[in-house]
Amino acid sequence: METIVSDSMVQNTNQVEGRAVPEKTLGEIQVDNPRMTARNVNVFYGEKQAIDNISLDIGMSQVISFIGPSGCGKSTFLRCLNRMNDTIDICKVDGEIKIDHQNIYDPAIDVVSLRARVGMVFQKPNPFPKSIFDNIAYGPRIHGLAASKVELDQIVESSLQRAGLWEEVKDRLDQPGTGLSGGQQQRLCIARAIAVSPEVILMDEPCSALDPIATAKVEELIHELREQYTIVIVTHSMQQAARISDRTAYFHLGKLVEVGDTKQVFTNPKHELTQDYITGRFG
Amino acid sequence: MTDRTYQRLDPQQAAERVKASINLRKRKETRFLWLGKTAVAIALGFLVLLFAGILSKGIPGLFQYYVTLDVQLDARQLDPSGQMTVESIAGGDFDGAILTSLYEALGNPEGRKAKREARRLISSGSSQRLMSYVLDNPEQLESMVSIQFAVDDDVDTFLRGLISRETPEADRRISDQLIGYIDALEAEGRISYEISDYLFFGSASRDAEMAGIRGALVGSILTLLVCIVIAFPLGVATAVYLEEMAPKNRFTEIIEININNLAAVPSVVFGIMGLAIFIVAFGMPRSIPLVGGIVLALMTLPTIIISSRAAIRAVPPSIRDAALGVGASKMQTIMHHVLPLAMPGMLTGTIIGMAQALGETAPLLMIGMVAFIVDVPAGVTDPGTVLPVQIFMWADFAERMFVQKTSAAIIVLLAFLISMNAAAILLRKKLERRW
Amino acid sequence: MNDLNDDFFRHISSEFNEELEALRRSILEMGGLVEEQLRAALQFYSTQDSSLLSKTDEIEKKINAAEIDLDEQVETLIVRRQPIASDLRLVLAVSKIVRDLERMGDELEKVGSLSLECFMSGSDVGVTEIQQIAEQVAKMLSESLNAFARLDLDLAREIFQREREVDKVYQSALRALATFMIEDPRNIGRILNIVWIARSLERVGDHATNIAEYVIYLVQGVDVRHPAVNQNSFE
Repeated sequence: METIVSDSMVQNTNQVEGRAVPEKTLGEIQVDNPRMTARNVNVFYGEKQAIDNISLDIGMSQVISFIGPSGCGKSTFLRCLNRMNDTIDICKVDGEIKIDHQNIYDPAIDVVSLRARVGMVFQKPNPFPKSIFDNIAYGPRIHGLAASKVELDQIVESSLQRAGLWEEVKDRLDQPGTGLSGGQQQRLCIARAIAVSPEVILMDEPCSALDPIATAKVEELIHELREQYTIVIVTHSMQQAARISDRTAYFHLGKLVEVGDTKQVFTNPKHELTQDYITGRFG
Repeated sequence: MTDRTYQRLDPQQAAERVKASINLRKRKETRFLWLGKTAVAIALGFLVLLFAGILSKGIPGLFQYYVTLDVQLDARQLDPSGQMTVESIAGGDFDGAILTSLYEALGNPEGRKAKREARRLISSGSSQRLMSYVLDNPEQLESMVSIQFAVDDDVDTFLRGLISRETPEADRRISDQLIGYIDALEAEGRISYEISDYLFFGSASRDAEMAGIRGALVGSILTLLVCIVIAFPLGVATAVYLEEMAPKNRFTEIIEININNLAAVPSVVFGIMGLAIFIVAFGMPRSIPLVGGIVLALMTLPTIIISSRAAIRAVPPSIRDAALGVGASKMQTIMHHVLPLAMPGMLTGTIIGMAQALGETAPLLMIGMVAFIVDVPAGVTDPGTVLPVQIFMWADFAERMFVQKTSAAIIVLLAFLISMNAAAILLRKKLERRW
Repeated sequence: MNDLNDDFFRHISSEFNEELEALRRSILEMGGLVEEQLRAALQFYSTQDSSLLSKTDEIEKKINAAEIDLDEQVETLIVRRQPIASDLRLVLAVSKIVRDLERMGDELEKVGSLSLECFMSGSDVGVTEIQQIAEQVAKMLSESLNAFARLDLDLAREIFQREREVDKVYQSALRALATFMIEDPRNIGRILNIVWIARSLERVGDHATNIAEYVIYLVQGVDVRHPAVNQNSFE
C-alpha cells in the first residue's frame, strides 16, 4: 500500500520528460474514407523541428479535434493542411499531404484554389472591415463562383443561413462586419469560409475568444455543419473536444501520441501521456 | 558570508510605509505637472507672439491705398481705329485720359514741375487698368466713369504714416508739394483704403503697388501637381514592394538604410542634383514647374515611403490571414485589403510631405526658378516661380511697400500650409476605421 | 407538471437535449420492465403457470442488459457533457435508480424461484397476505416511476406514506404466517418460503422508496435519506 502511494507522488509534473513519447502513434491513424491524408510530415522553423514524422487521416464528414499542451505543434500541423505555413519564410514542410488523393504541394495545384477547398477559421474573429454582405461575397467574387448578382445574393444568404446568422443580420447586410458581437463575428467568419463551398474547414481554437453562450452556439453550428463538411478543430479545451468531436488526436512535443474515437480517448486512453494530459496532471 | 534575513513586512507596516511615501510622491508629480504646463504655456506664448507679429505686419499688406478719379472715356482718344481689339486699343492714349482727370481733381495745377509732382501720385500701371476696363465695358465709351487707381508706392507708404512730415524734405521721397496734393485729394474723399486686388491678381512687378502673387501661386500649384503625380504612385508602390514582396536580405536592408538617410538630406542638395542632371545633362529648360516638381518629388519621396511603410505595417496580420484563408492571392490581398486600410496613413504622410514641399525654397533656387516672371505660367513647361521664392525675392527689394506685401504673401503661404495640414487631419479622421 | 421539465430541454446544444431525453426514456423503459416482471411473478405465484416463469427469466435478462446500457449512457454523458446543476442531479439520480431497479429485478427473480417451492394445492395460506403486500408494492413502484417521469414531489411524498402502510401490512402478514406455522408444522418449510416472498416484496417497496428519495434530490437538490444523520427531512 505504501509503495503505491509514494509512486503516485513521484509522478508529478517535473517527471514528464522521463516519459517516452511513443515512436509509433497509438490508436487508429487511418480511416475508411479519408478526405485528407498526411504521411510522414515534418515541419521545421529554421533549425527547430516543430512537427516530427506525423501521419494521420482526416475522415470525411467527421469532426476531428487536435488537443495537446501549448507548443505541441497542433496549430502548426493544422496550418499545413491548407498551406498557410507558406506565408512564413523560415518554415519548411516536407512529407506528403493529400486531399482526395491529390498532393497539395503538387505544382499543378494552385495554392489559391487549395485554400478555396480547405477553408480556415481563426482564433480571433477577423471579419474584413467591410459590410457584412461584402465579407461573405468576397470569396465567391474572387473565385468567380457567382455568374450574376442574383446568384451572389443567393450564395450570401445561404451561407449566412447555414451559419445560423441570417435572422440576426438580414436587415443590416450593408453595415460593417466589425460592428457585430464577438460570437456573431466568429459565425460570420464561418459563413465566409462556407461561402466558397469548401470540402474541409479548419478551425484554430475558434471559441477561445468567445463567452460561453457564443461558444455553445458555435459548437451547435459545428454539429450541424458536420453533415456537409469535414471539420478539423484545434482546441485547448478538452471539454470542448469531448463535446463536439468524433475523433480526437493528442499531440505532444511535435509528435502524434494517440488518435482515436473521442469517447474511447476520454474514458480509456491508450497512452500514459494522453491520460496525464486529459486528467490535468500536466499541460 | 552573512545571511541576509529578509523580514517580511506585515500588511500594516507596509500600509504605513506607503502612506509615509505618498506625500513625497505627490509633490514630485505636482512639480512635474507644473513643469510640463509651464513648458506648454511658454511654447504657446511664443506661437502667439509669432502669429501676432506676422499678422500685424501682414494684414496691412492685404490692403492698399487707391485714388478714385472720374475719367472721361473719349472714344477717339482711347480707340482711334474704333475696332475695340487689344491691338487697336494699344495705340490709344490712356495716360492722357487719366492725367486729364487727375489734373482736374487737383484743381488743374500749373507748371511742369507741379504737373510732374502730380503725376507721381498715381501708379504707372493705371493705364493698364483703364485699358482692361474699357475692353470689358465697351458700352461705357463716351461717358464719364469713376475708377479706382492705385497710388504710387511712395504715396502709399506715406499714407500709412511710415514717412513722417517732420523729416526734412531733402531726406524724404515725397515732396511737400506732393503732400499738399495728397491732402487735397483726401479732403475730397478720393483716397480710399481697400483690399488690394493687385496682391492676388497681379503678377511680379518692380513696382511695389502693382506687385502680386498670382504668378507665384499658380507656379506653386503647378509644381506641387507635378510633384504629387510623380511622388505619390512611386512612393506607394515602393512601400508596398518593400513591405510585402521584397525578400528579407542584405540588399533590401541597404535600400532601407538609404531611403531613411535620404529623408535627412538637406533640400539644397536635391536642388544641386536637379541642376546637374535635369538641366545640364538632360538639357531641360530652367525655371519650369516640371523640373521643379521632379526635384521636389525626389525630395518628398523618402517621407512618403517611410510613412506608407508604417501605414502598411499597421494593418493587422489577421486581416491578411483572413484574406489568404479565403483563397485570395498575394496581390489580391494587398490590393483589396491592405492598401485600402493603409490609405489613410499614406494620404496623411503624403499631404504632410506636400506641405513641406510647398515651403521649399533652396532647391528651387538652385534650379533657377528665380526668374522675374511677369506672365502667369499656363502649363508645366512655361517658366514660372513659386510662392516661397517670390517672398524671398520681395524681401530683397528696397521699396518700403514691399515689406507689407511680403508679410501678406507670407500670410497666404501660411494659410495654404495650415489648410493642407487641416485637410490631412480631416482625411485621417474620416478614413480611419476601427478593426 | 413541474417547471423543471421545461428547463431540461433548453440547452443550446440540441444533441445534449436529445441525450438527456434518451436517458430518461431508457430509465422509464427499464422501470416498465420491472413492473412487467412484478406482474408476471405474482401471476406465477397465484397460478403456477410455467410459461410465466420463463417470461420472468426473459425479462430479467432484459433488465440486466438495460442496466449495462444505462450505465454506459451515464458514463458517456459525464465524459462528453460534464453536466452540472440540474443536469448533474439528473445523471446521478438516474445512475442510482438504475441500481435500485436492478435490485428490484433480482428480488423479483427470487420471488419467482421461491414461488415454485411454496405451492400448496387447495390451500389458501398466505394468499391474501401476499396479495395485499403485492398490491401496495406494485402501486409504490408505478408511483415512483410516475413521480420520476413527472418530477412530482407530492407523488413522491405519497410513496413514503405508502411505505408505512406496507410496513403494517407486512408485519400483520408475518404474524398471520407465524400462526399458520404453529397450526400446521408440516408446512413450515413452505410457509417460510412465503415469508421470504413477502420479504422480497417488501424489499421491492424499499427500493421504490429510494427512488422517491432520488426524485426529491433531483427536483429540490436536497438529500432526504437517513433522517437520523441528515438534517434534511422530508416530513
